[in-house]
Amino acid sequence: MSAAMSKLNESTLNLGPWQASLCEAAKEVFSIMLGAELADPQEVPPIAAPAVTAMVGLAGPVSGVLSLRCSTAVCTEIAARMLGLTGADAEAHRSDAVGETCNMVAGAFKAKLPELQDNCMLSVPTVITGDDYAVHSLAVGKRTEVPLAFQDHVIWLAVEISS
Amino acid sequence: MPGIRALIVDDSSVMRKVVERSLRQTGLDIGEVYNASNGVEALAVVNQNTVDLVLTDINMPVMDGLEFVRQLQTLETPKHIPVVMITTEGGEKQVLEALSLGARGYIRKPFTPEQVREQVMPLLGRTG
Repeated sequence: MSAAMSKLNESTLNLGPWQASLCEAAKEVFSIMLGAELADPQEVPPIAAPAVTAMVGLAGPVSGVLSLRCSTAVCTEIAARMLGLTGADAEAHRSDAVGETCNMVAGAFKAKLPELQDNCMLSVPTVITGDDYAVHSLAVGKRTEVPLAFQDHVIWLAVEISS
Repeated sequence: MPGIRALIVDDSSVMRKVVERSLRQTGLDIGEVYNASNGVEALAVVNQNTVDLVLTDINMPVMDGLEFVRQLQTLETPKHIPVVMITTEGGEKQVLEALSLGARGYIRKPFTPEQVREQVMPLLGRTG
């Protein structure tokens, strides 16, 4: 086991700090790039289909995946805010926009954790859209996820680290 | 004085649009904006056009931003174009490497137009 992973395991028996960092990273990205505030949701309904999952891999001595899951309506809103577009123009860019949002959340999350900063690189984002799908990670490790309210919708953020 | 001719390098078309939008929101006189999706395309743009400023990501296919900056410094006809990195990779090692290769500034995503302005203005000799 690498020194980085050893230190990581010691520091993350409790994933509370990771979850807090994930929330902070997402709130920072949405506030700065989208001009939107994320909040703790009052209710957590299931995400309406079709759903979208954006994923960014973390690779290196520390490896894992950070994902952002939401509805296509939320994706369109993200693209609209990010690019100043409306309607069909925003829809045309929504996959790329949510992928880039996930990428920035991953970067901001990584920057908040000293054990990750220089010990992992980020992959190119992958975006999946569908009515009925599930994402299964083959890695055995630690996972934390958190719902956040974005306007009248809920988005889910998750990070999973292989051990 | 002509508008600032900028080259934006990022493999994401959305991010290129975001960077251009932020650049135009800085209040600087931005003229032509060229786009490239990797370092190879960016070098071609630099060779074929007059560019006053480059804003580039790091992680890109074909040729990444660090290699692009390295090669920009070794062109047969040196261009001395100021380069600012705009990237999610913000670890100290990456920042130091980019600066040692010739980058003149570094912006971590997410970023505001004010941050872009702060990095870019001194490089262009503009006082606002």
